[in-house]
Amino acid sequence: MTTTPTFMDRHHFLLRRLHSLTGIVPIGMFLIAHLTTNSTIVWGAINTRAADPLRAADGVVQVGQAGERLARQVGTFQHEVAYINDMPFLVLIEITLWLSIAFHAVFGVMYARSGRSNTRRYAYQGNWRYTAQRWTGYIGLLFIIYHIGTLRWGWTFLQPNNEPWSHAHASSTLAAALRGHEGAWSIGGVFVAILYFTGVTSLIYHFANGVWTAAITWGLTVSEKAQKRWGYVCAGLGFALMGAGWSALAGFLALDYDAARSIEAALHGTPQESIMVQQDATETPHTPTMHITQANTPLTTEGGDN
Amino acid sequence: MSNTTTSIAQAGTRTVRFRIKRADGHKKNVRWEEYDVPVTSGSEGSGSANVISCLQHIAANPVTRHGERTTPITYDVGCLEEVCGSCTMLINGHVRQACSCLIDTCAPRDGDVITLEPMTKFPVIRDLWVDRARLFETLKRTSAWVPIDGTYHLGAGPMETPDEQQVRYKLSECMSCGCCLEACPQYLIEEDVENWDSAFVGAAVISQARYFNMHETGASTKKLRLDALSEAGGVSDCGNAQNCVKACPKEIPLTESIAAMGRAVTVHKIKQFFSGQ
Ligand code: HEM
Ligand code: SF4
Ligand code: SF4
Ligand code: FES
Repeated sequence: MTTTPTFMDRHHFLLRRLHSLTGIVPIGMFLIAHLTTNSTIVWGAINTRAADPLRAADGVVQVGQAGERLARQVGTFQHEVAYINDMPFLVLIEITLWLSIAFHAVFGVMYARSGRSNTRRYAYQGNWRYTAQRWTGYIGLLFIIYHIGTLRWGWTFLQPNNEPWSHAHASSTLAAALRGHEGAWSIGGVFVAILYFTGVTSLIYHFANGVWTAAITWGLTVSEKAQKRWGYVCAGLGFALMGAGWSALAGFLALDYDAARSIEAALHGTPQESIMVQQDATETPHTPTMHITQANTPLTTEGGDN
Repeated sequence: MSNTTTSIAQAGTRTVRFRIKRADGHKKNVRWEEYDVPVTSGSEGSGSANVISCLQHIAANPVTRHGERTTPITYDVGCLEEVCGSCTMLINGHVRQACSCLIDTCAPRDGDVITLEPMTKFPVIRDLWVDRARLFETLKRTSAWVPIDGTYHLGAGPMETPDEQQVRYKLSECMSCGCCLEACPQYLIEEDVENWDSAFVGAAVISQARYFNMHETGASTKKLRLDALSEAGGVSDCGNAQNCVKACPKEIPLTESIAAMGRAVTVHKIKQFFSGQ
């Protein structure tokens, strides 16, 4: 050979396998954790312990059935957010994740550009999966940049509601960012919601299909039968994650901003924001009464782990 | 489908129009020409027209349907029974062998059009004839043969289990036709010979490496093949579109070969990492 091999060529195998691995281990695992966490804004309703910190001390607010459910949902999600924020070595975890995403994205774009999609001529299902894997990678990348940029780096100029997301008010500020407005939807919010739906759906497809191809790449599934069987497992994983992702999105889009805000305030003991939430007051005699305390009850010290 | 074919068989002779993409070299003077060819249905057994026989008919009297006198169309051909792979081309947009493409099946009605184009992943030499040299070079790059040259008599080959035979027989049917490469979104045309060592090898060669690694004697050079397949252009450049297995006329389980070699290379590399070779 006359030409000296490039860096990419010299470490070809390692880079390819690292690309596959990063897609699954830090990034994919994070995706699962992230989507399930977010879906607690809906499924938190079945978490009976979520309202405990609210019930724990003397409260000023009495809440009916719907209020109790909302408190469980917002309470669980807020608890999850606080839990993640208090994780030991969080910085290390974040750096690993950042590096992995950057690596996977940069090489992913290069790998995607190394092929020429030909679904027009060869319209096989597998070929569509291949092409979609590349498109969802690109869409996912744009979405991730928007998602992190607005909610994490404070690019509020890209948010129709202009209000930064805050840890303390994780549920309400997220709902406002998605709808583009605290209350009703704004026009911009419709686009943000569509972007989130597309981005989340793309990344879940990309991950589920990636787990399927990774099994071939590493040589786990060799026979056609095994590949098919593993395909069903990956489809199952994909649909489960779609369920989590979509319900999270729907949950935040439907969230009552003011009510969520007051529950968050109560959770953090910010009295001036603790306004009355009296959703179905007529039922109060029969339903459990919940007291929201004004004292500072840090969520993370709460015993009930989810 | 068979009904139409039978009724036409009774009808006797009909005309089939050929649209042919011609060129004087790679991307040189590319043009389309159209020829009308009379065909007789092959119900009598012999004389069933195929794409090659129609090209021969055109060569005997190369006049387009507009009455323009041209030259015979150049194409590659060998066995005429779908075992050598040399007549591979795009027929109505799909890659396949011209010799086994029967007119009664692909153009059963009077006036049907058949489009012929050269493969797109190899440089065109002339008209429908392409240069598949890269495919053969790649077989060399991966040592796709059984080493039998030695300084002493090697004796009878080792025994093979029937199970292995079953797998290997299928793999042995590859005729290096290039259909799997033509259909592959990861296999791109590469005219620069310098780059052949790092461009994607494609499904056929991965499958051949598996074929020879499974051979008891061929296994003695297993490492060479695994090393070649772990380099740039090796098995990990496959993007799992799985077009290859659909396009292969010999129905070789190419995606299984790709996964099997993915596994072999994984194990090989891990061993190498710990043993330092
Ligand atoms: C950020 C932008 C991203 C881009 C541009 C991208 C691109 C790609 C591409 C092109 C492939 C195919 C590689 C090949 O088969 O040779 C791929 C595979 C994969 N990606 Fe991504 N990706 C991105 C983000 C993600 C994310 C966020 C995840 C996790 C949820 C992920 C998980 C995977 C997995 C598991 C594979 C399979 C690896 C294999 O086949 O061995 N990717 N990615
Ligand atoms: S499975 Fe791999 S070799 Fe086969 S067509 Fe797809 S990318 Fe090409
Ligand atoms: S694997 Fe099949 S399609 Fe590919 S070259 Fe061999 S015979 Fe042709
Ligand atoms: S001439 Fe050999 S395959 Fe067609």
